[in-house]
Amino acid sequence: MFVSRSMTRKVITVDPEKSVFEAQELLAGNHIRHLPVVDQNRQLIGIVTDRDIRSAMPYNFIKDSCSEEQREQICALTVKDIMTRDPISVSPTYTIQDALLMIQNSKVGALPVVGDDGKLSGILSVRDLLRAFINVLGIGEPGSLLCILVKEEVGQLKKIVDAITEENISFGSILVARYWDENKRAVFTYLLTQNVAQVKKKLNNLGFTLLDPMEWYLDQLPKNEPSPKSTE
Amino acid sequence: MNKTGFLYDDRYQLHLTGDYHPEVPQRLTCVYRGVQEAGLLSSLIQLEASRADMKWIELVHDGRYIQRFEAACLSGKSMFESPDNQMCYDTYETALLAAGGILDVAGRVMEGELDNAFCAVRPPGHHAEVANAMGFCYINNVAIAARYLQNQWGIQRVGIVDFDVHHGNGTQHIFEQDPTVYYYSIHEHPSFAFPGTGREFEYGKNSGHGYTKNSPVLPGQSDEEYKRLIEKDLIPAFEEFKPEVILVSVGFDAHMDDDMSDIKLSTEGFSWIMQRIVELGRQHSKGRIISVLEGGYALNRLPELAANHVKILLNGKI
Repeated sequence: MFVSRSMTRKVITVDPEKSVFEAQELLAGNHIRHLPVVDQNRQLIGIVTDRDIRSAMPYNFIKDSCSEEQREQICALTVKDIMTRDPISVSPTYTIQDALLMIQNSKVGALPVVGDDGKLSGILSVRDLLRAFINVLGIGEPGSLLCILVKEEVGQLKKIVDAITEENISFGSILVARYWDENKRAVFTYLLTQNVAQVKKKLNNLGFTLLDPMEWYLDQLPKNEPSPKSTE
Repeated sequence: MNKTGFLYDDRYQLHLTGDYHPEVPQRLTCVYRGVQEAGLLSSLIQLEASRADMKWIELVHDGRYIQRFEAACLSGKSMFESPDNQMCYDTYETALLAAGGILDVAGRVMEGELDNAFCAVRPPGHHAEVANAMGFCYINNVAIAARYLQNQWGIQRVGIVDFDVHHGNGTQHIFEQDPTVYYYSIHEHPSFAFPGTGREFEYGKNSGHGYTKNSPVLPGQSDEEYKRLIEKDLIPAFEEFKPEVILVSVGFDAHMDDDMSDIKLSTEGFSWIMQRIVELGRQHSKGRIISVLEGGYALNRLPELAANHVKILLNGKI
């Protein structure tokens, strides 16, 4: 669950004195969107994104209609002129959960990973987190997903797991998500089988509600949470 | 009336899956009874099983995998690679009889003895990968038939239509880099159903890009959605590809009374699909359609579904 296990280690970096165009080529050539900026000692001093570069180039420059003076100014721009200095970074010992929350709160697309010595050791992007999430969902393996509605009380999950285990079915993953009814939880079981008819019947007989797949939400908001429009 | 072949053999019931498994020998009893009770047997050219030559099996499957499968059966294992794949001593032999029967049918279609055919075989095949059994399937019958048609009969373009409610991952993966075999599948959306592949954005790979097409269907949908997707996705694709032979992976498990899925096709919905495929075959494939049973577990519905399927092969309509 640590950042060090999910981050990209071979980070493509850029020198602060390089031109903006060189940075742009590095981004495009490697199909990436974030370039950590490091000094000779590999100390992280900034980050430059594809958006930073686009913002640095006015529309008339791209359309080839700007003045000679303006053109020279833009061509003289270096990475250090447009980079974000002292960007938000994480330590390799941070967890994936830390990184998820930090990315959500800070609204960045990637976090440079910096060790105790201040040197860049990797980068963790939204893409790396997605890969981790796909792994957690277990959807790389063949299986079938069920959504079981349970009362929020101790012991419900045990009953479900026991019933499924008795059918000799292995689990790819189990997720428990909140449901709009406050006293209930939605349990998503990803079962590594095609043979779901029998186990569905069994869960029904045990009194569980199998939610209609069209009513599934992995991220269900409370029913009474006001939508932005209704507050007007 | 077409010269329609009907492959059925009591030996296809020798593959036993134990208690509590939906893929049971009675499925075939129901299929046969349906065809018989509809008075169709005398109009059909009835064919028996024959054992597949290993050279055809190995055009698709890894030889070591086949050896592993045989060894597991003969040593009395009741399961192969996953608890989904329940089996018995005779499973290996039955699987070879299924594949071989279909190759025999394919040869007869190419010789003109048959126009088209329905192969009521077990075990099913479309989940079987090159070197893995999966989802009740061991040997990929339809994939082997496609390779046989190409190698033995010089067929350039094979079209496969798979309307089993589950995506035929095995068939797709076997041909996804091959522009000479077009794989089309319509199935319950993989986020809701086994095996979790067959998403809309899977189009094939490398030189096979554009020769795989998937129409995932959301849970609860029925005839209208199938008609819409088949008209939008399958028909134009095959009109352009012009397959010389069409292989059909026939699954009856999208039926509303089949509890293996959340799709609610009616009996008439299945007839519509098959009529459309027969029309396609008439226009582009000289009527050459070889349909092969995959899933379908509602024993009370299999007789009517099988009878209708055969009627459409015979007459182009119900």
